[in-house]
Amino acid sequence: MYGWIWRHLPGNAWVKALLSLLLVLAVVYVLFQYVFPWAEPLLPFNDVTVDGQ
Amino acid sequence: MSVRALVRTFSELCITVGTVIVLFVVYVLFWTGVKADRAMDHQIDRLQDQWAEQSLAARDGKSGRGAPLLALHTKYEDGEPFAVMYIPRFGFTWNKPVLQGTATGTLKKGLGHYARTAQLGQKGNFAVAGHRRTYGDPFKDFPELRPGDAVVLTDGTTWFTYRIDRKPYRTLPADIGVIDPVPRKSGYREPGRYLTLTTCEPEWGHSHRLIAWAHLDATQPVEAGKPEALRR
Repeated sequence: MYGWIWRHLPGNAWVKALLSLLLVLAVVYVLFQYVFPWAEPLLPFNDVTVDGQ
Repeated sequence: MSVRALVRTFSELCITVGTVIVLFVVYVLFWTGVKADRAMDHQIDRLQDQWAEQSLAARDGKSGRGAPLLALHTKYEDGEPFAVMYIPRFGFTWNKPVLQGTATGTLKKGLGHYARTAQLGQKGNFAVAGHRRTYGDPFKDFPELRPGDAVVLTDGTTWFTYRIDRKPYRTLPADIGVIDPVPRKSGYREPGRYLTLTTCEPEWGHSHRLIAWAHLDATQPVEAGKPEALRR
């Protein structure tokens, strides 16, 4: 999987490394901005009321 | 596809899932706190702004007494801040905004006031919920509350000092009687001006709730300075 991505990135090794870094940052951003805020309320830490609202 | 490629892809997937889980833990333990601190500071700033404008309006208005009376009868708006809470037991610098409603989104920005309970300082039960863990851990030290501890609130015109009456009480999530006007199990018999705090129990779970009850001990106008409980 990662080997496949590496092979399909353009440029020499340095450009590939830079692009991979950008890809990783983009994935982390999407996770923190969209995926985790959606997943977090499914965990029990939000249940602090007694009327179940 | 060779066995070799299969095994490699599988291990890469495992490593990826592991990394995402670690990132999620970082998000829950650390990032929600950063976000909540920012959001709570913003809510307190908004309140200070609002109060500054109110007092300016009162000074420029016809009567100096008009504005505080007006503020008392303001309707709380859902999701909007209306007070700041101080609990010296949680630390001298501990202060959090109190917002109207207990929706999930509201509790990310501060403490939440149960919409159907009494307003601040009024007859009945002023009930407030807060996160024990995540989102800035506002009620992390909840079990440390002891009888006599002060819970101080201000709505910009008045300081309200409530006093805790018993150690935190552990109950089940469906026990809505604890936020009744005269809370069940609290030991209060007569109607009065009470405050109820609720959070989750155990710390990281949701099987129970921790409840703390307090009664209104003193009020004073903000012009009189900080109440006794907040002076060092």
